[in-house]
Amino acid sequence: MLEISHLHKTYRNAAEPSLSGLSLSFGKNIIAGLLGPNGAGKTTTISIICGLVKADSGSVKVLGYDLATGLEEIKKLIGVVPQSIALYPTLTAVENLEYIGKLYGIGSRELKEKIRLYLHAFGLEKSAHKAIRHYSGGMKRRANIIASLLHAPELLILDEPTAGVDVQSRNMILAFLQDYHRQGHSIIYTSHLLEEAQQLCHEVAIIDHGQLVVKGKPSNLMTENSATSLEQVFLHLTGYSLRD
Amino acid sequence: MRKIAATVLNEFRLFRKDLAGVALLFLMPLALTIIMALIQDAPFREYQDIRFDILWVDNDKGKMALQMGEGLEEIKQFRLVRELDGKPVEAGQARALVQKGEYKIAIILPDGVSAEVVNSANQVANEMGQRMGAAGKLPQRESRPANLEIYFDPVTKQAMKLSLLNALDKQLTKVQAEIILARLEEKMKGEKGDSAGVEPIDLQAKMRAVTIKELSAAPENKINLNTNSVQHNVPAWAIFGLFFIIIPIAGNSIREREDGSLMRIRMIPGSYFSILTGKLSFYVLLGTLQFFIMLAAGLLILPRFGLPSLQMGSAPLALLVTALVIAMTATAYGVCVGSLFQTPNQALPFGAISIVILSAVGGIWVPVEILPAGLQQVAKLSPLYWALDAINGIFLRGGGLQAVWPNLIVLFGFGAVFIAIAGWTETARKK
Repeated sequence: MLEISHLHKTYRNAAEPSLSGLSLSFGKNIIAGLLGPNGAGKTTTISIICGLVKADSGSVKVLGYDLATGLEEIKKLIGVVPQSIALYPTLTAVENLEYIGKLYGIGSRELKEKIRLYLHAFGLEKSAHKAIRHYSGGMKRRANIIASLLHAPELLILDEPTAGVDVQSRNMILAFLQDYHRQGHSIIYTSHLLEEAQQLCHEVAIIDHGQLVVKGKPSNLMTENSATSLEQVFLHLTGYSLRD
Repeated sequence: MRKIAATVLNEFRLFRKDLAGVALLFLMPLALTIIMALIQDAPFREYQDIRFDILWVDNDKGKMALQMGEGLEEIKQFRLVRELDGKPVEAGQARALVQKGEYKIAIILPDGVSAEVVNSANQVANEMGQRMGAAGKLPQRESRPANLEIYFDPVTKQAMKLSLLNALDKQLTKVQAEIILARLEEKMKGEKGDSAGVEPIDLQAKMRAVTIKELSAAPENKINLNTNSVQHNVPAWAIFGLFFIIIPIAGNSIREREDGSLMRIRMIPGSYFSILTGKLSFYVLLGTLQFFIMLAAGLLILPRFGLPSLQMGSAPLALLVTALVIAMTATAYGVCVGSLFQTPNQALPFGAISIVILSAVGGIWVPVEILPAGLQQVAKLSPLYWALDAINGIFLRGGGLQAVWPNLIVLFGFGAVFIAIAGWTETARKK
């Protein structure tokens, strides 16, 4: 579902490159984890995949489409859940979702039904007409995910979807992701919560300093590195020094 | 089209949620327009229909003083104060009152000024009669030059002084000419006698062969309007208020970028252009609505404060198109400011202060015509100048679309430059 080859990116006025020849690939219909310390290049990679940021060089293929020539097709097939709550805080969940759904060209009746179903699935039906700014952190995260699901993307990309949420919300989100995968969709997911990644992902790629460090199944990586958890593998490969 | 409609609806929803913002966007410019029109009413009326009290000290009591007084009173701008507390104003009293600043102007006509003018007229008539070989002589004596005294309070504006001195000079010349002509008539009558069948010559009527008639240069004389506080301030501050729409536009653009909603929108397939068009359309409609509400204040509210009603010309289509183009330019400026700055704290003060500067040089505060020559050229760099000039073209000069299209093209040009800067900034940000 994703093939990245020799991707380079240095932001203007940045002292160091964000990506220094990153190459990695993930197969179809899996939950893949893109892991790395702060500043490793995870968000830059996702931004390039979505067409928000232009790479300096290298190539990206998403679901068989080359990013350089098929960005519009890729946009139709992917759903991206950004790290920030990318919703209008003064609008209600329904108003936000109606707008996003209409921009995706979903018909009114179908859209209404989808919104109703997803709000129910994510436990937000009672707060459907409440402004997003009055939501708790967990509710905001859940609404943020729904907004990326309305067009039924084949590949769902989530940038730290469970950051700062309570245990109940986290469980609901993870259960939904597993269910979504079972329906035949692919998922790429970034997180700092390595226990969560170990539990959820079929495959993980650890990147650091804009390069791939290691890629494989969590269990294989633990065996190869004589570790009892993915966190130990991560610290072993990326070091203990602080990253700000 | 669906995207545009969805975006217009979404912007409306966002706008509706911010009731304080709605109130500020509509009420503050409305209050500003009303207050500025009221405050500037006096300066605008000063040289038009405000009446100035002039202390009139008549020590002459003759024909000359009588005719000059009547002549000045015919000018709407002046009112002669001949008595104070039921007594004729005296010279010393008049000087003291001007000195205290209680009156701005005093005119003192010395004793014998009429007699001097009559004597001078008799001298002229006798001289002319003698050269034409006429017999007889009107009574005359040696000239004793007399000065008409005029006192101004030092705060009196130079233009006001000139206006009064011109009026006095004109009256003096008129009265002298009338007396000379009357004396000549009298002399010619004396020559020919009052024999039946000889029509008397009305020299004064013959001298009025050329008169001055003020006409309007507007097409077909549709409008004959002088500018006043309402005619200047209502469109001027309505344009100023309309440009303040950049505050919500720039603020929302930056917030969308900060909270990630812009990123989400940009990840949606299809051109961002239709979404941008939807956003711009909403603000253009909003700005146009705001502009017409300001004009309605000039029609309905200001007359209740004793000000004249706003005259809006006779080209409603041209007015609507002009308002839409001005709103488009203002919206484009908002998009430009929103893209140039990273935070609302940078964008909003810049946006607000830049509008104040553009309005000051663009003739919003005071008409461009009274700015120094250099600034009159600088004014053309402000879109507000072209906007106000277009509105004046419709309201004051009675023009239609044919008259204002050059202004609309310039405004389009400003809008295109603003959008180009915004596009360039956004592209650079992607790198």
